[in-house]
Amino acid sequence: MNHQPSKAAKILNQAKLDFCDGTLVLDQWSSQAITRIFGEGIWTWDGRSNAWRCDPIHYPNIRKVLGSNSYGTLDRVPQWQPIVWSDIQLPEPRAEQTDAVNAWSAVRRGVVVMPTGTGKTEVALRIMADQACSTLIVAPIRDLMYQWHKRILKGLGYDAGIIGDNTYNVKPVSVTTFDSACIHMPKLGNRFQLLIFDECHHLPGPIRSDAARMSIAPMRLGLTATLERGDGQHAKLDELIGPLVYRLEINQVRGASLAEFDVFRVPVFLSERERVRYDQLSEVVSSYVYERRQEDSHFTWKTLCAETQSSGEAGIILRAYREKKSIEDRAVEKLRVLEDLFRLHKGTPMIIFAGSNAMARDVSCRFLIPCLLNHCGKAERVDYLDGLRDGVYPAIVANQVLDEGVDLPEVKIAVVIGGMASTRQAKQRLGRILRRRGDERAILYEVVAKDTNETGRSRQRRKSDAYAGTRNRKF
Amino acid sequence: MLTRELAIASFENGELVPDRLNRKTDAAYLGFAEAMLAIYRSGIGRTRRLLHQAVYRVFDEQLDCPGRRIQAFCKLLDDAAEYSKGDRKKIVQLRRSVFRAAAEQHPLVVERDALFESQESEVKRRIAEDLGMSWPELRGMLFSDLIENHELKCFHGFPDGAALLSRYNVAQTQAVLFDAIKITVRATGDFKQILRYAKLARLMHRITRRSDHYRFEFDGPASVLRGTHRYGVAMAKFLPGLLSCRGWSMEAVLRPRSFRQRIRFRLDDGCKLVSGIEADSVFDSSVEEAFAMAWGEQPRDGWRLERETEILHVGQTAFFPDFVFVNEDGRRAMLEIVGFWTPEYLIAKFQVLKQFRDEPVFLAIAQSLKEKVVIPCEHPAIYYKGAIDVVAVLEMLNGR
Repeated sequence: MNHQPSKAAKILNQAKLDFCDGTLVLDQWSSQAITRIFGEGIWTWDGRSNAWRCDPIHYPNIRKVLGSNSYGTLDRVPQWQPIVWSDIQLPEPRAEQTDAVNAWSAVRRGVVVMPTGTGKTEVALRIMADQACSTLIVAPIRDLMYQWHKRILKGLGYDAGIIGDNTYNVKPVSVTTFDSACIHMPKLGNRFQLLIFDECHHLPGPIRSDAARMSIAPMRLGLTATLERGDGQHAKLDELIGPLVYRLEINQVRGASLAEFDVFRVPVFLSERERVRYDQLSEVVSSYVYERRQEDSHFTWKTLCAETQSSGEAGIILRAYREKKSIEDRAVEKLRVLEDLFRLHKGTPMIIFAGSNAMARDVSCRFLIPCLLNHCGKAERVDYLDGLRDGVYPAIVANQVLDEGVDLPEVKIAVVIGGMASTRQAKQRLGRILRRRGDERAILYEVVAKDTNETGRSRQRRKSDAYAGTRNRKF
Repeated sequence: MLTRELAIASFENGELVPDRLNRKTDAAYLGFAEAMLAIYRSGIGRTRRLLHQAVYRVFDEQLDCPGRRIQAFCKLLDDAAEYSKGDRKKIVQLRRSVFRAAAEQHPLVVERDALFESQESEVKRRIAEDLGMSWPELRGMLFSDLIENHELKCFHGFPDGAALLSRYNVAQTQAVLFDAIKITVRATGDFKQILRYAKLARLMHRITRRSDHYRFEFDGPASVLRGTHRYGVAMAKFLPGLLSCRGWSMEAVLRPRSFRQRIRFRLDDGCKLVSGIEADSVFDSSVEEAFAMAWGEQPRDGWRLERETEILHVGQTAFFPDFVFVNEDGRRAMLEIVGFWTPEYLIAKFQVLKQFRDEPVFLAIAQSLKEKVVIPCEHPAIYYKGAIDVVAVLEMLNGR
């Protein structure tokens, strides 16, 4: 009559595999058994909790080793569920999109590299539709997170959960940001079977990569327009997501799915007052750096930045440098050139990229056009973007918020009036305006302050193949 | 707490030393601190940007004060303040109507001509007028929902300048721990508090007994797999609690982003950092205190009374008996007092005790509890009413 207790006792003494605070925990196994069955390198003994521990990213391997008999181990890890899409409304895929989907589906782990504007999102949605499983989409910033939410609703008829932006609403299909994924993965790591990392070159990094490492998801898809990172960290993606499975170069799509584009550089001169102050500040900075180099040939700008925490003088130099940048960035003349460009292209929707929030607001206040900044709420953002597309607003000005992947209405005129030099950013920005639309060509204007560091940055930018053929234009 | 960007620390003799303002060498800062407090106390209704600008002005003449220190003060002051966020919805609506009104006039030009007749200042004046204000007023409101434009609602900050400086010193020390991958505490007392604060900060522990002290290692679940500073924030949260304890020294292993190798950070209870957390009184209850008094300093029948010198632990469960009796012949026994607690607390307590059923622990249970709940206890127990009887305890000890 004591079946119940013995059964309970059996479960009590049975080995268990659990997901616990972002790790996998296995108890009862002897170290001989671990080595014999799993070999070295997966499990680590944790004397604090008297159990074996490992990163959840190993789960598919562990499952494979345990096989169907599980060696008497109770696997309580996955909390997945199949998804039934109520209404799939995806456009007919283009050839390269089909190729990308097929390449990924053959291994179900890996990175797809496609230039912005060639429909990375469609590739991901197609894969989600095929796999129909618990899926988490990880995007760099909340704008993109909301954009994914919208696309999933439209394409798959599913109202996805949102994790981030002060919301914690977990559903079998959810969207989140890199930062939130990293923070919450200790609780979420066993909930998803498929992870999708949008702009996945953001993933490497000691803590951020926990978003991949602390998940058991056997299926992983990374999307990016630019795999390479300056620091060489992209090699880590292989371990965290999977190998490169598909790559489409920007040159391959020029004129095909993307419109042809021209780049015009518009030099502006600093005003008399700006020039005097600019030269003054340049003198302060360069004489300081010169003197320091005399004492220490290894002195670099990095040393200076590190010193600002302990030395007030370094702080003053850094402030001078920042003011210099701000003069370049906010040169009054740029607003005048902008007026000319607005006159020239009246009736055509335009997007202005500013180098800073302050400049974006300067432009917004000067021309009374919407200013899309980080602080904009979802509704305001949607109003501006839809408004630009529908012709309610003639133009919008944005800062870095639109640097990556934010779906913009189709515009063919963009103006860059400040910003950074990195090739990736340049490519991403180009991607903004290169939307296919008939045979019309797109124009990217670059307004740069002449005889300042900005000119140098623009030159560096043009080294990127996407900028080949830049012409100067005088106003 | 500060953010990582506001941390200031120097590297001396292989160790990291957080920025610290000293009563003697930085005496001037007491005045600066008072001035900053005055700015916030009298700053109700001013925007965050203006308050920060005013704080910066306090340090105008202080060339050796790094900018980060000023920013850190702003952060600590803001942490103790409440700002009104403005009516966000209304401001968003305002922006929308302004941009829509201007859209029809686009582009706003400086000088009108035959093709473009929307003169900038003219259009702006008209749009503002339609909203019943002037353009400068409208411009002031247009982005008033931005964080730097929020207005100070109230400030429940620091009693005096010294308190702000104390907070600053603790905050900089906490910031060092953001990069910590592990903390080791050597403790000769207050074990219970130290472990409790670590648990509150969601850290995991490893306990080792040494001849005259305990050694606690604190980190997080994934720490056994790789050195990660993922739990650095938890360690920073643990610090104020630790500072309120006595009889400890700690060493943290740090891996700052800018360094390749790991470096050390040391601190002990003589560091004079004041966390503002009140130290717990030595005794949890008057019953304990009365019993210790009644027992006295001298041994009875060879048994000497010690306070919380023992930790029983299995895995992540730790138990601290209220008293430890050490006999001249080396025998040890432990007494746990079970007073007036909620049923949930009792169930949890007995669950813990169950794991230590082989240890020489006996209990003193309040008589009133015996009448109220069934006590599922495997340890020998005596019952008390009001005070614990020393004779009954001695009988229990000698009976073993």
